Amino acid sequence: MPLSSSSEQLHLGFISTLEVDGRGHVGGLLVTSQTGRPLEFQCTTPVKPDRTQEILYGRALRPWLLGELIGSTLLDRVSIKPDLIVVRDEELLELRNHTATPVACMDQAHKSDSTAQTVGSRQLFFHDSHPADADFVESKAHLVPGEADLEEPLDRVHEALTETVKTVLAR
Amino acid sequence: MTAEPSRPDIVCAAADLTLNVVSASTGYNSALQRVPQIDTNTIPLNARPDFVPSWKPRRIPVRCIGLTLPEGEEFLPSEKAKETSSDGTKVRQIQRSKKSTKEADSDRPKRTRVTPPPGAVSLQDRLFYLLQPPLETWLAGQELIMPFEPFPYQYEGIAWLFARHSALLADEMGLGKTMQTITGIRLLLRAGQVRRILLICPKPLIPNWQREFRLWAEELPVVTIEGSSVRRRMLWTMPGVPILIANYELLTRDLPEIPEDERPSFDLLVLDEAQRIKNRDSRTAQVARSVNRRRSWALTGTPIENRPEELASLFEFMDVVPKRASPDLRQLSRLADEHILRRTKDLVMTDMPPRIDRDAELELTDAQQAAYHTAEKEGIIQLNDLGDAITVQHVFELVLRLKQITNFDPLTGESTKLERLTADMEEIAASGGKAILFSQWTKSLDWLAERLQSFNPLIYHGGVPTKKREPILDQFQHDPNAHLLLMSYGTGAVGLNLQFAGYVFLFDRWWNPAVEDQAINRAHRIGQKSPVIVTRFICAKTIEERIDRVLREKRELFDAILGDGDNNDTSLSLNADEIFGLFDLKARGEDGARSIGPKAA
Repeated sequence: MPLSSSSEQLHLGFISTLEVDGRGHVGGLLVTSQTGRPLEFQCTTPVKPDRTQEILYGRALRPWLLGELIGSTLLDRVSIKPDLIVVRDEELLELRNHTATPVACMDQAHKSDSTAQTVGSRQLFFHDSHPADADFVESKAHLVPGEADLEEPLDRVHEALTETVKTVLAR
Repeated sequence: MTAEPSRPDIVCAAADLTLNVVSASTGYNSALQRVPQIDTNTIPLNARPDFVPSWKPRRIPVRCIGLTLPEGEEFLPSEKAKETSSDGTKVRQIQRSKKSTKEADSDRPKRTRVTPPPGAVSLQDRLFYLLQPPLETWLAGQELIMPFEPFPYQYEGIAWLFARHSALLADEMGLGKTMQTITGIRLLLRAGQVRRILLICPKPLIPNWQREFRLWAEELPVVTIEGSSVRRRMLWTMPGVPILIANYELLTRDLPEIPEDERPSFDLLVLDEAQRIKNRDSRTAQVARSVNRRRSWALTGTPIENRPEELASLFEFMDVVPKRASPDLRQLSRLADEHILRRTKDLVMTDMPPRIDRDAELELTDAQQAAYHTAEKEGIIQLNDLGDAITVQHVFELVLRLKQITNFDPLTGESTKLERLTADMEEIAASGGKAILFSQWTKSLDWLAERLQSFNPLIYHGGVPTKKREPILDQFQHDPNAHLLLMSYGTGAVGLNLQFAGYVFLFDRWWNPAVEDQAINRAHRIGQKSPVIVTRFICAKTIEERIDRVLREKRELFDAILGDGDNNDTSLSLNADEIFGLFDLKARGEDGARSIGPKAA
């Protein structure tokens, strides 16, 4: 896999969430090098909104829960701060309203988005309110190997979350 | 008489239906006629209304669990570089190994993931393995250029090794144990899990390992233990050397001489051709077990050469059974499932050219026939004359004498095998092919070399100085006129890559099918482009035919145990009873089950 000869580092953060039956949502953040090597991992314990929050937040519940609560907490806790956050779930883009770090999404629904940037083998989409994120990613895309699949680390996060939940529930 | 009816008198009376209604005085009517009195109260409309129940958005506390991986340490802010715990947040660092401590969608490309080993109990340890990228991605990285794309089963083997502290890689010969091991070591070094590795192999294989390290991991400095005892002592204890290679003899000789507190510690000890320690009481096995190490890997294509119990010694080295433990076959099978990875060519190399086995059943020449019968007749008479003094060694000597006659008649030099070999070699040489011939006797190899000069034979056996061996192999590969390589089982059967040879001759038979397989797989291995034709010379109505029958039975048992774990307790070794049985004799004494066999040449 060819990679830029530059010594410039690009730390990528991958956030994924998982719903645990009856216990709420857990979230995980994996920080990797631009080649996908794991550097740090953080995950949350289950977070569950109460009934009032479910009613009053309505359709805004998941963006609030996943993006603002879980996402920003993970980003706050992680010691190695990522330069770019990649998510699979569009609702996690809400995180961008609570951090200065660019957040990119691989949601298929955005495919017609003109601001999309190709990084590795994937197209990334950005929050409507933060179009400058696309410029940032364009300037850094050369650091990521062309064959890199930015969705793959999200699978690792999902697997790690599943393992964590399984372990915790077994205790 | 008729009577007149009478009419009754009708009287009318008036009834008074008048009902008097008297109204009582209640005061209601006068009250209704009164004008109402109206009072007013002032209500302050600008006051804030109260809502009950009240609700305010609240932030649900989110607790985190985290770990920093070894490669992330250099990016940690200095003040958080150490383990922290605040607000329910834990950052656990997986420490880089310390040299002194012991101890993976149909539209996507294939991904081989590292899975946590069964022994990884803590969540952090399990996450460490789960968070590693797929090997295909990892090995395609900038720093880990691979000269060739590994096969899928090799990726799986590398991932398996990476996650194990105790491992026995028992792939069939030719499937790339060396490459999988080197790559596994490479990844462990990159992941910060090991820093100092000791690799022990038979002396003739050291150049092979050096070459393979240069091919598969050219960035890794490799130091070979050699030279004077003073120099070796310095090399053993020299810090900062990631990979040390030594042969078994130097391991056994040098390490015990180093004072215990000065003995080097290793993060990983790899034993190549680990069947060398199958005898747990051997000096080699004892010294290997005494090496300070955290991980123990064993490599062998023949984890069981003779009897299943040999696995116990390997498991003891791997620290998966207690000292002196004697696991039964059921336990061995369970341990094998957990700690042994074995793949055969049939299973994984479906696209590899086939190996075609053919037995050449030959009739002895007249001179050989006469010599054979004389030797056999006299031999049996002598054995019978020995009476109770007969030992398996006496019988064994007769077997060897008869086998040598089947190779060639010592008096006349007649050899039915040579005739057949010459005929085959003429065809092979004419087509530009190359063949390897194995014999157990260096004397037979030298005798053949003199008579096969037209094929420019090269000799490779224990009598050839180590320094001259690599050039011989090089000449055999690159010299178009060198068509035949004469090898002894002991020296040529292990570790060498001769996949450019399409023909293998077993001039005489070894005592163990596993060793024969090792020899054959020098040619029938990865990289081989065409079918490998294996010819076994067997002289009819001789001791060779009888030995062949025993070897076939042994091979079936070998496959059964390492296959689906048909845990048969029958010994796989050619024991004394079987040797005596070759001449319809019965073993004397109590050594009937003792394994016998010559030392490899």
